[in-house]
Amino acid sequence: MAGLELLSDQGFRIDGRRPHELRKIQCRLGIFKQADGSAYIEQGNTKVLAAVYGPHEIRGSRGKALHDKVLVNCQYSMATFSTGERKRRPRGDRKSQEMTMHLKQTFDAAIQTALYPRSQIDIFVEVLQSDGGNYCASVNAATLAVIDAGIPMKDYVCACSASFVSDTPIVDISYLEESSGGPELIVATLPKSEQIVFLEQNSRLHEDNLSKVLDLAVKGTKDVHHVLDQAVREHVSQVSAFENTDQS
Amino acid sequence: MAAPSICVPGQRLGRLDDNTTSGNGTYERNGFIYSSLAGYLESKDIDDGKKLVEVRTDTKKNIVPSVDAIVTARITNVTPRFCKCIMLSVGKTPLNEPFRGMLRKEDVRATEKDKVEMYKCFRPGDIIVARVLSLGDAHSYLLSTTENELGVVMAVSEAGATMVPISWCKMKCPKTMSEEPRKVAKVQPQFLQYSGT
Repeated sequence: MAGLELLSDQGFRIDGRRPHELRKIQCRLGIFKQADGSAYIEQGNTKVLAAVYGPHEIRGSRGKALHDKVLVNCQYSMATFSTGERKRRPRGDRKSQEMTMHLKQTFDAAIQTALYPRSQIDIFVEVLQSDGGNYCASVNAATLAVIDAGIPMKDYVCACSASFVSDTPIVDISYLEESSGGPELIVATLPKSEQIVFLEQNSRLHEDNLSKVLDLAVKGTKDVHHVLDQAVREHVSQVSAFENTDQS
Repeated sequence: MAAPSICVPGQRLGRLDDNTTSGNGTYERNGFIYSSLAGYLESKDIDDGKKLVEVRTDTKKNIVPSVDAIVTARITNVTPRFCKCIMLSVGKTPLNEPFRGMLRKEDVRATEKDKVEMYKCFRPGDIIVARVLSLGDAHSYLLSTTENELGVVMAVSEAGATMVPISWCKMKCPKTMSEEPRKVAKVQPQFLQYSGT
């Protein structure tokens, strides 16, 4: 395709990044008063809000209660204005349902579910603007929200995507790179213990290149972890400083 | 005191050995203690020479009732066979949101179980102290008041005054001097603290 080369001869991508560079991540914790935990994240132009409620008593059908661990309930929705073409249904379509399920699986693995038997934790994720890497941004936002809610987790869960363009693995792919038809590898890890909790691949990728791409994606999750970690530490110190001034 | 250090989920806090125990906000894996919350590291010495490692958060602790815990609850509904209530706090920690509980007729007192009449033990609106018996069968938590220390701690009479206990099964209204039957708890200092009065 003319005029659309994902990697220039000089080794730059369309948005000017190098293959191993992430997009700029900005995040904030505790943005909602009502929710027990909430977070907002921007990864490049992808913007996601997450809210966490709980642990509380099982809502809805009580038959879903698990006697030995907490029920993690997720809802993924995309704002109608989040994509280039206006969406009809913000949630409930196939893609959103699948995403919901993936989020649930991811957080089931990371949250210490055995601590709250017969209860429920709700994680609501809303994509405000979509520019590729929706799952990754959702996971990262939800992690921050869960931490903000004070729900015990084994570790952060950080997600990152990667692709393979002209013999070079590229990390944190944007919508343009996503829709070019190349392979897409999405991975979510517990970065400190280097455990993979979620791995998904779209399109075809040669087996020989898999490890290269996977390595880069895992490294991407560690970079994401670094950024989130700083944000959490800053938030914790800010909150306590505020409370101390409150008391005096 | 040195500035308390911030820790985040997944951070390794130290080695787990005979002299250390992991407390709130931490977990153990492969012989190490890890943090599971974002907060401040706190290590204190507990009695038998051990060191307790905890992570303290500023936000209120999220807890859910567990088996054998003492809970404070308000009666919402009384029937001949059981009464329903909402749990307000577990131990000294108030619950962020109320959990529903059920107190069956058999679990009201330890003796003469078959002679228990629910209406003569509890009324809607009473505040009771109870023990969590089990996590119920898919409905709600099962509670029990089969100890002298458990039962009604606060009740309002028909005249609208807070009643005073006069025996283990009677309470008296200070306004009208009428007596009403209740399963009264023998209130102990620690439970007084629980109910927050």
